[in-house]
Amino acid sequence: MYERTFSRTNPGCIVFLLDRSDSMKQPWQSSGGTLAEGATRAVNKILLDLCVKSAKEVGGQARHYFDVGVFGYGACPVAGGEGVEPALGGQPIVPIPQVFDSPLRVETDPSVDAVAGSRLPVWVEPVFGYRTPMCQAIATAGEHVFGWAASHPDSFPPIVINITDGMVTDSPYDGADLSEWAARLTSIETRDGQALLFNIFLSPTVAPEVLFPATAAGLPEPGPELFAISSALPASMIANARGARMEIADGGRGFVFNAGLATLMWFLEIGTRVADVRDR
Amino acid sequence: MILARSVCFWLEKLGSVATEWEDAAAYHDGDPAAGVAPRYVVVDGATEAYDAIRWVEHLAGSFVADTGPDLTPTGLRTWFEQVQRLWAAEAPARFATVIEEHKFHAEGSFATFLGCRLTGLDGPHARWEAAALGDTVLFHVRAGRLLLHFPPIGVDGFGLSPDGIGTRPAALGPMLRGLELASGEVRAGDVLFIATDALAHWLLLEAARDEASLWAALAGLDHDAAFAAIVADQRAAGRMHNDDVTLLRVRLVTAEPGALVVSL
Repeated sequence: MYERTFSRTNPGCIVFLLDRSDSMKQPWQSSGGTLAEGATRAVNKILLDLCVKSAKEVGGQARHYFDVGVFGYGACPVAGGEGVEPALGGQPIVPIPQVFDSPLRVETDPSVDAVAGSRLPVWVEPVFGYRTPMCQAIATAGEHVFGWAASHPDSFPPIVINITDGMVTDSPYDGADLSEWAARLTSIETRDGQALLFNIFLSPTVAPEVLFPATAAGLPEPGPELFAISSALPASMIANARGARMEIADGGRGFVFNAGLATLMWFLEIGTRVADVRDR
Repeated sequence: MILARSVCFWLEKLGSVATEWEDAAAYHDGDPAAGVAPRYVVVDGATEAYDAIRWVEHLAGSFVADTGPDLTPTGLRTWFEQVQRLWAAEAPARFATVIEEHKFHAEGSFATFLGCRLTGLDGPHARWEAAALGDTVLFHVRAGRLLLHFPPIGVDGFGLSPDGIGTRPAALGPMLRGLELASGEVRAGDVLFIATDALAHWLLLEAARDEASLWAALAGLDHDAAFAAIVADQRAAGRMHNDDVTLLRVRLVTAEPGALVVSL
């Protein structure tokens, strides 16, 4: 299980659930920006990484190694009001070559270690407002993930990464609470295993980072609940992380608390890499 | 006098076409009259690398050239710097997309490396010398038995090494720290195999099961279709990872071997 690699024959599916609730306007550690800006920066960076991985031929198109989705929940900038809204051109699941070809814009890389003059594409903008309909987000994304898994039975199972700063406000939703919606999502499967749900718990507070924990001990609310619905990292991801000289306990879950950008990118890198890079 | 006679077999990963094979190999069986030692190299371009095919071709050709490196830390450092400079000098003037530009600058290209040379084939101290970065592996076989493999990676160690030859100057330090060197004595009748990771992993598993049959079959391999059939069978059986595979075989003989058929 969890042994398939991403390939054109069997592409992967990576879906982000992006909290766009009002509390995402809070400052993100010492970054000088908001949680919403940090979260979208991380999503844009990992989308770039997936595009980069898929860019093979010089001057050519990206290869179809991935299908990706970004679902914002909370404020809906297109439809208006509160709800769940696909954030990649309004489409739920998008082939990576299409993502490659259609950034919203290109901006100068703001990171301090960037090569002078280097530019980065932007696909998702920071938005915040309203409450936190996380259950609805999982339910909505789950419908698309279910359809994707049914049409890709030999692929690595879908990976769903939820980025949030706080309490779910719509549990129970449609008769099921957050843990039930998470269980429904992770019951979706391909022949290579069940869908994975990972959670990134952002916080404006000053607290130590917690990365891939094997226990919820010491996590502030709603950390324990988010930890409980987070999937255990498959052995292939743990092996990749350890191969990159990262310490991960056996039984570590796909959960991170209070991450800065560097840790967030580490988390996303580990959580979206499924096997040896040369196995494509 | 020992003669080295080499041949290379390869197959792209299932789902790719031949032009997408991202390994490369080069071999030069030497010229005893001119005092040129045999040199062999196999490199495996990382799938995520920028323009991996150009990088592995560049590395393989450069290694077996007359100006190829000494297999010492100093010699290899000089060679690494040289191939990186040439790569940078051949950078595209313009990039098709901002993503391609980012990939070139931020990540560059990358390949695992196993380079080997033979010395003293005309005397009593014939030897192989090898240098490695990553999980492309040399197997030294004598009388149907594996004497050693280098680097000494276990069956669970493939795909985990971050080592290889990168294009970015910042990679030079880690490359030198990860560099492994080894040598061994060779005799007429020995066979050296150099294999990229998926095949090397399978070789170790098969050698543990029935090495006499394995090495006899590979030493007698005489057609690339036969090699392709073995790989296809093992992939279909789930015993070999679906990856580009390359096998460079060097037979050490005292007389010219019979004809070999290779379709290109």
